[in-house]
Amino acid sequence: MDIQVTQTGGVTLVVPQGDLDMGTADHVKRMLTELIEKGQSKLVMDLTGVSYIDSSGLGALVAAMKQARAVGGNLKLCGLQDDVRSIFEMTRLIKVMAVHSDRQEAVSSW
Amino acid sequence: MTTDTLVITSESRQLARLRAWLGEQLARRGVDAHTQSELQVAVGELTTNSIKHAYGGRAGQPIHISVASRDDGVVIHVEDFGRPFDPRGYRQPDLNEMNESGVGLYIVKRLADEFSFDLARERGTRWTLVKYQRGARPNRTA
Repeated sequence: MDIQVTQTGGVTLVVPQGDLDMGTADHVKRMLTELIEKGQSKLVMDLTGVSYIDSSGLGALVAAMKQARAVGGNLKLCGLQDDVRSIFEMTRLIKVMAVHSDRQEAVSSW
Repeated sequence: MTTDTLVITSESRQLARLRAWLGEQLARRGVDAHTQSELQVAVGELTTNSIKHAYGGRAGQPIHISVASRDDGVVIHVEDFGRPFDPRGYRQPDLNEMNESGVGLYIVKRLADEFSFDLARERGTRWTLVKYQRGARPNRTA
């Protein structure tokens, strides 16, 4: 999975490209953990380029969100495609995670 | 009833190949794109379950996935030959919690019209899920 990371002000923008499944979830989780440990805990992940997510992918995002919140930050999401959004709705994560419609809204929400 | 089968080995890199194959099989059977996506997630969850739990992460173990057409929809089997699923150890996830794991089978149940497993075998688990064509789902309350 290809992941681009960009710093914009105090916010770190993370843009993965590809499927977020058992094969890529650990990579994403490790990368987010490294950012948080470096002090970059105000995170926005743009999921526009992710057309598939499963429970392993959700688990990675939830773990990172908890870790970021524990140090005063958060993992905010945006750009959810319909099929991805329906998985977040089904598991009710849409209610507990900060989900924004687009990147600009998510970044400016900080 | 036409049945097509894919045999993969128990590595996570096989999941993308499985999704591509399943998408082709379902499209060939006239399943709409949204339902294809749902079934790719459901079958992916079952296969992940086989890799993680039935085989404990051991690579190179067989997993069989088959798709069969029938008049009212499709039937999909996912079969492994590792440690059998233990339903006594399954707990329905509390969705008020922020779960990092344990929601895979819940997702499968939500996405399939019918979902069952067969443990009466020498080894492993055979999962079965059914997805009906739009309007073909039997009325269970009748």
